[in-house]
Amino acid sequence: MLSVARVIEKEELAERCYYLLLLEPRLARQSMPGQFIHIRVGESYMPLLRRPFSVAGASPESGTVQVFFRVVGGGTRLLSALRRDDSIDCLGPLGNGFKSGRVTGPSVLVAGGIGVAPLLFLARCLVREQKKVILFYGAQSSGELLPVKRFLPSGVEINLAAEDGSTGYAGTVTAAFSEAVERGLRVGEMFACGPRPMLKEIVGLNRQKWSFPLQVSLEENMACGVGACRGCAVAVKGSGESAYQRVCREGPVFDAAEVVL
Amino acid sequence: MAELAVELGPLKLKTPVLAASGTFGFGEEYASLVDLQNLGAIMVKGLTLEPRAGNPPPRIMETPAGMLNAIGLQNPGLAGFLNKELPRLRYYGVTVIVNIAGDTEEEYVELAEELSKTEGVAAVELNVSCPNVHKGGILFGTSALLLENLVKKVRHSCRLPLIVKLSPNVTDIAEMAFVAEKHGADIISSINTLKGMYIDVARRAPYLGNITGGLSGPAIRPVALRMVFEIYKAVKVPVIGMGGIADVDDALQFFMAGAAAVAVGTANFVHPPTIPSIVSGLRSYMEAEGLTALEEIVGIAHR
Repeated sequence: MLSVARVIEKEELAERCYYLLLLEPRLARQSMPGQFIHIRVGESYMPLLRRPFSVAGASPESGTVQVFFRVVGGGTRLLSALRRDDSIDCLGPLGNGFKSGRVTGPSVLVAGGIGVAPLLFLARCLVREQKKVILFYGAQSSGELLPVKRFLPSGVEINLAAEDGSTGYAGTVTAAFSEAVERGLRVGEMFACGPRPMLKEIVGLNRQKWSFPLQVSLEENMACGVGACRGCAVAVKGSGESAYQRVCREGPVFDAAEVVL
Repeated sequence: MAELAVELGPLKLKTPVLAASGTFGFGEEYASLVDLQNLGAIMVKGLTLEPRAGNPPPRIMETPAGMLNAIGLQNPGLAGFLNKELPRLRYYGVTVIVNIAGDTEEEYVELAEELSKTEGVAAVELNVSCPNVHKGGILFGTSALLLENLVKKVRHSCRLPLIVKLSPNVTDIAEMAFVAEKHGADIISSINTLKGMYIDVARRAPYLGNITGGLSGPAIRPVALRMVFEIYKAVKVPVIGMGGIADVDDALQFFMAGAAAVAVGTANFVHPPTIPSIVSGLRSYMEAEGLTALEEIVGIAHR
């Protein structure tokens, strides 16, 4: 599961948001939507730990995987300095991905910020399964929105939201989605990824009002990424040891009905 | 070929490089990534009598050349370990050392007693040094008197080799090692994590759910090395040295300071095959230096 990937492309596609295309045939063959790869950003002890990134796309034909990341600290800053042909140490694919069921309505994806990454991969798989896919994607401003159209097959309906009103719906992506539901949007199944407050709001609204089948992909500080350290805990409904599960191992995708955010 | 097997008092190990408790889960997590045959032993995640949920998140935070953790001994409890984890560990054929923790002396005693009756456990490691639980644990490791009473009682009920894992959060770790040895420890392991914290400036509040956590990783290595050096002078029993070891050079420093074996912790997270690479590095070093046994360099820095 450890391998060295080669950087094929790196591009800053939105404010502080980067796209990486990596060549690593095994990762490309094995990765499923919702899984992540644990990347060692440098050889030094600063930063020490690997960084988890959702797989945003995998092409077994070309042997490549796509990753998106936003520069938030030292680790991602180092990643943003990678160049074409650089090698990076990858562990993965790790974790459990999204499970799409047999549903009667469209598959709706709700993405906040860089959380769109795993949903792009999922969208492509759902389209291949002949499902109707609707994406709601929001950020603070239009400058922070990735050009997602470039990474999606035609037929995916894209609804953008910017909190500063600079493009699409003026407000949060959660508000954009809620309004669409109020206007009668049909939802067969729902998948969400984004900052924790956003997921908390969506999971809460879903519990109170909608009861759609909802899966969320969570982010948490990780050390090992394989379940050994129990560092990336998320509270689940249960007792005893099962009061917490590991985001890296049982997740990062969870059924929204099971987690306590 | 250089002989890597070591004998730590009553405990025989295939190699002198172990996986430190809490950093290798119950082996299963790394079974597909690391050739477990290279491990001297797995010191499994701290075990308590009853299952524990652990601390509220966030539980970990990266720090300069290290990390803080406050897991809070999340574990399946004795029954869960015996029914599920131990059979799997035995299947892997790896030597198993069980790290035990409790709120009271009685809990440690019961765990040691039960594990002594269990086939497939090579030794018990007494965890008197976890900084992340609020009862028991580290209290026993930071008071010489409490440690004395605990080691005495556990020794009485434990038929397995007894390791005492010391806390660095004391004024004089050599004294604690001396007390542990005097009352029946067969082996000393040191060090556990150093208590630390991180403040989230934006929130103006402690970052970790448990407020404080244990610092590990290369950042603590010089402290750990100094403590192993001091312990070696104070006791006759073998020492398992640990604290920030990430490569063969680090491991050699601990052997030279007096460790008879070493354990790798945080480095497993960064580079899962760290232990096999240290084992092969030791083999090359011994061949290059013409050593037949590592023993020849244990404590050599004292001479």
